Amino acid sequence: MAIEGLTIIGETINDSVPSTHQMFEAGDVDGLLELAKMQDEKGAAYIDVNVGPNTPEFMADLVRKIQSVTSKPLSIDTPDPAIAKAGLEAYDLDRAGGKIPVLNSISALRLEMFDLYAIQPFMPILLISEQVVDGKSGPCHTAEQTLQAAKAIVAEARAEGRKIPNGELIFDPGIAPVGTDSEGNLKRLVAAAGMIHNDPDFAGVHMSVGLSNFTVMLPSKTADGSPVKGPLESAFLTKTMPLGLDMIIGSVKRKYELLSPDHPAMVCLEDVLKADGFEAIMRVRDFYA
Amino acid sequence: MADPAGLYDAILTGNAKQAAEVTTEALAANVDPSELLNKYMIPAMDEVGRRFECNEYFVPELLIAARAMKASLELLTPKMAEAGTESAGRVVIGTVKGDLHDIGKNLVASMLEGGGFEVIDLGVDVPAEKFVDAVKEKDGTILALSALLTTTMTMMKTVIEAIEAAGLRQKTKVMIGGAPITQEYANEIGADGYSDNASAAVAVARKLTSK
Repeated sequence: MAIEGLTIIGETINDSVPSTHQMFEAGDVDGLLELAKMQDEKGAAYIDVNVGPNTPEFMADLVRKIQSVTSKPLSIDTPDPAIAKAGLEAYDLDRAGGKIPVLNSISALRLEMFDLYAIQPFMPILLISEQVVDGKSGPCHTAEQTLQAAKAIVAEARAEGRKIPNGELIFDPGIAPVGTDSEGNLKRLVAAAGMIHNDPDFAGVHMSVGLSNFTVMLPSKTADGSPVKGPLESAFLTKTMPLGLDMIIGSVKRKYELLSPDHPAMVCLEDVLKADGFEAIMRVRDFYA
Repeated sequence: MADPAGLYDAILTGNAKQAAEVTTEALAANVDPSELLNKYMIPAMDEVGRRFECNEYFVPELLIAARAMKASLELLTPKMAEAGTESAGRVVIGTVKGDLHDIGKNLVASMLEGGGFEVIDLGVDVPAEKFVDAVKEKDGTILALSALLTTTMTMMKTVIEAIEAAGLRQKTKVMIGGAPITQEYANEIGADGYSDNASAAVAVARKLTSK
């Protein structure tokens, strides 16, 4: 059972998932369609479609085939404008009950993807962990930079010709693996989410992360056999949902839940937020080792 | 004096403070820096890599061990430079133009430093000409390129072409990595090495320097 108020974009049809990559390599479209059906049945609100380096034609064909087995709206997931264009052109709005697709994602480095709105309106995932200032691009290191990146990209989303309303905008503040977080990325993200949540100009904007990235590179079980990833991801949700996070690209199989403050994963997350540098990584290691 | 063998355990368990203390004491007692490096430190990092490969260690342990190694290396390097001892090799590393994702690149840089390489980290979103300039500074440099996006991985080929155009290709080994990268892609663009994780990247770099 998912958490009330949390929208899940099913993550599985993604070329970077090893088991799915094998399906792409083998041309196993039936297998991909089974993944779409499974995610639909298990409660995904959207089905993410990431074809990796495959062709725009492949994306278009896969979108049509997935829509033949599910009426859930899709999330067209690619940094490549040509692949995104093909996916959006193939998207059958009626089949999805009139629900527009998500486009994952637009960043300050690829604003031209907003032009695709003329082909098929979409809910853009706006990557606000990257910024371009005075022509120089780079990752946001502070919450304030993240807020400014949000303001800059929202101005583009509201430009003449598209004027995307707040309710159709999705901020992605850029989650990083907690097991590598020696630079305070989690602190930045939590503080930025709070600032965005309290900014009246952003009322109604959604917030999403690729939640599996949070625990990637960690073991699946602690030394005593307890799960690692689910509890840490749930701790992240417990911390950030009150700050406006209401969507994830995630697993429909994971049992996400809101944790009590004394849950070991919640205590770990709070410790990481207080720690500096490598202390944060060592705290994560202590959680599972 | 603390037993220099304690350096092995300090790095294996990621105890940076202990690694620095043992190193300081050993140097004060005139232990040969090369002996510390080759007998204790590099074997410790090799063992970290082995444990990672068999899922006894995970990325946090890699990072913590690499930091302990670095704490020791910072004390050793000036002494080794005085003695004219060469590093394991020189690596210029960066994320290609248009790509701001640096987690994998940073992991590889840490592990290469831990493996005794001199690492010049050019950061993210690095244009081809900047890679060329950094490689030009010393023959025999390994160039390590990282990309996370399918739209930016093609820049790796651009960088290799720029290295060729500058007449540096014969003197430079190129290794690549990142989520969408495969051995097939490395072959396709003419890279000399590929690794799908930070630990194995050290072995690839060693192989390239031995050729």
